[in-house]
Amino acid sequence: MIDPKAVRGWISTFLRLQPGRAVDGAVLTDLVTESFVLVQLVIDLQEEFGIRLSGEDLRDVRSVGDLITTITSRG
Amino acid sequence: MIHENELWILSFYRRSEISGALFFGRLAQTVRAGAIQRDLTKHFSDESLHAWYWTDCIEKLGAKPIALDHSYQDQYIEAAGLPGNIMEILAITQVFEKRVIGQYALHRALPGLPPEVESTLQRIMQDEKWHIQWVGDALVSLEAEYGKEHIAKTIERYAAADRKVYERTLDEHSGRLEALIAQRRGRRGAP
Repeated sequence: MIDPKAVRGWISTFLRLQPGRAVDGAVLTDLVTESFVLVQLVIDLQEEFGIRLSGEDLRDVRSVGDLITTITSRG
Repeated sequence: MIHENELWILSFYRRSEISGALFFGRLAQTVRAGAIQRDLTKHFSDESLHAWYWTDCIEKLGAKPIALDHSYQDQYIEAAGLPGNIMEILAITQVFEKRVIGQYALHRALPGLPPEVESTLQRIMQDEKWHIQWVGDALVSLEAEYGKEHIAKTIERYAAADRKVYERTLDEHSGRLEALIAQRRGRRGAP
């Protein structure tokens, strides 16, 4: 089982966010200057937590909370 | 002196090559060691070199690159959604590279092209052919894992997204290219 706290912490570290910015409602595209950083984030998260996703799985992912739910539901 | 529209277009190419370099550079750090990692690293190197070629070309034409805040690739995520794995990234890359080579070929066919622009386009297009080839080979190597049909469908999905992005981009590009052609024809026709 994947710990949501671990995923949130990983996202926060990867995006170099200040404490408290990786809240569930934070929109991912607002947290990065280049959208391709999100691609690397998703690939790295899969490597880190040993899961496999497709673009279809990410279609409705907009926020940090959406991403955490998607990752943890695969663990 | 370089025309304002040409400067904008060359600066847009430069910006897109920089975006590509940054993306492939990040990705080269992430993917597992192997043939894909090796070719991605070369691809990253090529894209950064292309950004340098455009910078040098613009300077030789007596201008400075315009700082643009968006590239062609930035619009892909919005249109096609976030790719979730290396196969999807390669599929989107193949579609994008074909678009790039098509756009550069169109530009190269323009009348009265400055020699600096023509030689830069020629150099870059050689590399782009290899980009399409290695990405195609990598996608074939992933068929056992993802399935040939699924990969083909993924490429088609991204091609459809690319057409949407291109239609949007085309408005600004075609306007600038048409203005350039008209200006060159006027110059050639002038006494």
